[in-house]
Amino acid sequence: MDFQVIADNFTYFMIGSWPKGDLGGVALTIYLAVTSCLLSFIFGLLLGLLSVSRHRFISLPTMLVINLVRGVPLLMVIFWMYFLLPAFFGHGFPEIRTVIIALTCFTAAYMSQIVRAGVEGIPRGQLEAGTSTGLKHWQVMLYIVLPQGLRNMIPSFVNQFVSLIKDTSLAFIVGVSELTHVATQVNNRTMAYPTEIFLFIALVYFLLCYSFTSLSRWLEKRLSWRKSV
Amino acid sequence: MKKGFMLLAMILTVVTAAAAFAAPPANTLAAIKKKGVLVAGVKDSLPPFGYVDEKTRTIVGYDIDFVRAIAKRLGVRVELKAVTSASRMPQLEEGNIDIIAATMTNTPERAKQIAFSDTYFRTGQAFITRKGMVHSLKDLAGKRIGTAKGSTSEQNVKAALPTATILSFDDYPQALLALEQGKVQAVTTDEAILAGILAKAPNRNQFEIPPFKISDEPYGLGMRKNDKQLVAFVNKTLLAMEKSGEAARIFDKWFGPRTPFGLHRTFKIVAGK
Repeated sequence: MDFQVIADNFTYFMIGSWPKGDLGGVALTIYLAVTSCLLSFIFGLLLGLLSVSRHRFISLPTMLVINLVRGVPLLMVIFWMYFLLPAFFGHGFPEIRTVIIALTCFTAAYMSQIVRAGVEGIPRGQLEAGTSTGLKHWQVMLYIVLPQGLRNMIPSFVNQFVSLIKDTSLAFIVGVSELTHVATQVNNRTMAYPTEIFLFIALVYFLLCYSFTSLSRWLEKRLSWRKSV
Repeated sequence: MKKGFMLLAMILTVVTAAAAFAAPPANTLAAIKKKGVLVAGVKDSLPPFGYVDEKTRTIVGYDIDFVRAIAKRLGVRVELKAVTSASRMPQLEEGNIDIIAATMTNTPERAKQIAFSDTYFRTGQAFITRKGMVHSLKDLAGKRIGTAKGSTSEQNVKAALPTATILSFDDYPQALLALEQGKVQAVTTDEAILAGILAKAPNRNQFEIPPFKISDEPYGLGMRKNDKQLVAFVNKTLLAMEKSGEAARIFDKWFGPRTPFGLHRTFKIVAGK
């Protein structure tokens, strides 16, 4: 084992060709994960609420879209977006944005079902009690059901986001130079150190995911403390 | 069910219409000058044609030097996009890139779909094997042979060795690893690429490139079929580079006697070839 190769290429693993060229490596992986994470949280919440709508003409099409996305491998979603988006938005649609959109679509579909389960997990009595105090349906959702539901959803959200971090590695298929792609480039140039390089890459992914779970565990504790007050 | 078909038909119509609407520009040469940038599809992990330099952390190589020379004469800057053997032609036809400079062999089949420049690099398909195991093509009959997906090497070796089992890998380092582990008895692709792989391999003295070739591989720069002006400009540039000695200098810089490859230039850039 000779880890000199990691030291020699450390900057490239971390930030890619930046600042002379495009951002890459770990920095790009984090950027992809964080952006898609925030977006898919928003869209997942929205899709989830739409899918539990009392109006069938809202909930049925939503479920159709969700099931369509969930029924296709992520690699396919990325590839589809890659060739579909330029068709709609013209040429030179940035690959990084393509990947973010694909990851968001994919993760939001899964998130929506977590939201759905979370909302349906709140006893019906709460909803009825809310309505009987004169609140509108959306008010009951916003002020009574969601605050309780979201707290229960946190562990499942964390799960989903951890797999999102790892899913960013699929961005290599459209030539986005995130961590995995960068590692392949270095491996193909040096040829002699695949074990060292991919051990290091695995460690970086682990650290990324582990720090995210630790952060969310801390967040969870804080929220449950609020609950007890 | 009927509704589903209607929906599918509608989506397909919209997609096709949108695709037609956003078709690549008719005159790429003018468009490149207007944008001030030439977008080139290159390999990013195939030394010395295109790979990421350790110090500068940017893509460099033989292919890249040609693209830069063309862009310099156009007075535009270069944007490099990494492509693979399988993705480069769709990328070009989608309009995501203007030109392919990615070790692409000019074949009649490909020339039906895209336009090729004059040959800017010439090599032939050979094999890497364990030392002393293979003396002629016959020795490889019925053996397992590794190569890369979507390359001409894959098709050539199937034709030359119909009895062999061909295993296609994502890239050449994977194929070499399979050779080291004994999963394949030979790795095949263009000799220049093999020389590059062998120069970097950790235990290279166990392997050799036997002196026979199964094909002639003229590399051309790929452009869209209707980009007549761009093709003409690129060919003019290539010939000028040959005349001024710039093309030979680029060859020596990446493949010459002072490199690990130690190759001699046995071809010249000629108009119409």
